[in-house]
Amino acid sequence: MMQFMTVFKREMLEAGRNFKWIWVPLVFILLGITDPISTYYMPQIIESVGGLPEGATFEIPTPPPHDVLMMSLAQYSQLGVLVVALMSMGLISGERKSGVAELVLVKPVKYSTYVTAKWGAVNVLVLVSFFAGMLASWYYVNLLFGDVSFIHLLWTWFFYGLWLLFVISISVFMNTLFKVPGLVGFLTILFVIITSIITNIFSHVLDWSPAKLSGYIRTMLSEGSIPADLWGTALVTIGISTALLIAAIYTFRTKEMA
Amino acid sequence: MSLLTVQDLKKSYDGKPVIQGIDFSINKGSCVALLGPNGAGKTTTLRMLSGLIRSSGGKISFEGMSDQSDIRFNIGYLPQHPVFHTWMSGKEFLIYVARLANMDKQIASKRADELLARVGIADAKNKRIGKYSGGMKQRLGIAQAMIHQPKLLMLDEPVSALDPIGRREVLTLMEELKQETTLLFSTHILNDAEEVSDELLLMHNGKIVEAGSLEGVRQKYRVDKLDVSFQEGFTPEEAKITALPTVLRMETNKGVHHIFVNDTNQARDEFLQLIYTEGWPLERFEVGRASLEDLFMKVVNP
Repeated sequence: MMQFMTVFKREMLEAGRNFKWIWVPLVFILLGITDPISTYYMPQIIESVGGLPEGATFEIPTPPPHDVLMMSLAQYSQLGVLVVALMSMGLISGERKSGVAELVLVKPVKYSTYVTAKWGAVNVLVLVSFFAGMLASWYYVNLLFGDVSFIHLLWTWFFYGLWLLFVISISVFMNTLFKVPGLVGFLTILFVIITSIITNIFSHVLDWSPAKLSGYIRTMLSEGSIPADLWGTALVTIGISTALLIAAIYTFRTKEMA
Repeated sequence: MSLLTVQDLKKSYDGKPVIQGIDFSINKGSCVALLGPNGAGKTTTLRMLSGLIRSSGGKISFEGMSDQSDIRFNIGYLPQHPVFHTWMSGKEFLIYVARLANMDKQIASKRADELLARVGIADAKNKRIGKYSGGMKQRLGIAQAMIHQPKLLMLDEPVSALDPIGRREVLTLMEELKQETTLLFSTHILNDAEEVSDELLLMHNGKIVEAGSLEGVRQKYRVDKLDVSFQEGFTPEEAKITALPTVLRMETNKGVHHIFVNDTNQARDEFLQLIYTEGWPLERFEVGRASLEDLFMKVVNP
């Protein structure tokens, strides 16, 4: 446990010193507030860029509040995933490539501790940033569109957080497979895209694929209760993430590329 | 009492053997130089001992250690090109690795301070490592290797990349360290091995071709010869020297005459007698000692 905290704290310190603790939350907040604000001001925006031809009527229905929250979530599923992949691509591979890992791993630190502590550190950074982003989005949704309960916000954060945790687990696994950070980032994104494609193609059988989390979150927000499928999907996501983490520890142990 | 025993240690990459079954042991308190040309397998050997890479066969046993326990507790290792987290300060880094070795926070901090002073970079302990010079990094590297008081300190080419001043400093430091711990270091520079170590392991092409104490190895490869030089401008009559009964042949190189003989004791007496009777202005006289350089060349290219 002490070794875990040592690696974890060092990661936190590094994230602080290279300003990750500033820019990651900032990016998530920006992504979160873009949609509520731009949707709300859409008529004015259209007006100011030239407007519609004389006499044309164009009704923009005001979307229900939870739909706007879902728009923010859609931002996270694209740009958010990209940010996560980019910021975690050098997590282990970078240290191995530069050679710092050589000094660290020659100390009697357990390989499993090293991997899980780093995994944990990225998760804390991403989930806290994601929470900040959701909170900002929720604030504008409540201000501009109408009520979404705080409990629902928490559930949304929790369930969608699992998707981000899944992405981080993929990244950590790729980090142990390859030494080149760029390749790790690319393969992480590729993995996420392939997961989505496979889920779309085999939609009727893969009811609980991690890629379906946001769909069920939408159901939860519009119906007001947590669908059973969401719990199932959450469990599957946790299961796959754990498997990826175990695979990462295993490859790291056998790979001897320190 | 041997601290580390290596039996039939092997390593191959993609079926190609790099280390071809080496055996050696290191005695407690000794200072051993692992000597060999580039590509001999020195780094691979050290990395196997440090647990960074797995051996393809053979056994590494450490005194008082069962097969299951982690060898890394007993070993301090300085890689050939140590790389640090450049955004950390020297002291922070030392505390970090100390904590990884399960050291208590206060003890880690105290030990870090001690070591920083010890290796002579106490002034820079709160500076970012990114700003350290090559010699300072090397010294920080030695400090991090010693932080958990390992029984065996392994340094991979500790001075090869340093300038003459840094080299001198690190060699002096090693001279001190060998008083208190067992030291194994690799080098391809013969002078360094000669200066610091008391024992030698000579590696070539993944095999240990010679091992033993510095003196013992020297004795073994000793060449029977006399090295003499005379006052400048004087050239002895070669025929008179080669006429001595024990002398085999003579070579002259840059004013130094190498006289190869078959019995150094007798040759010395005969030769000095000759000098005396002839009245030659002798300046330097040495009974042959093979330098490590000669030995190295002899072992590597037999």
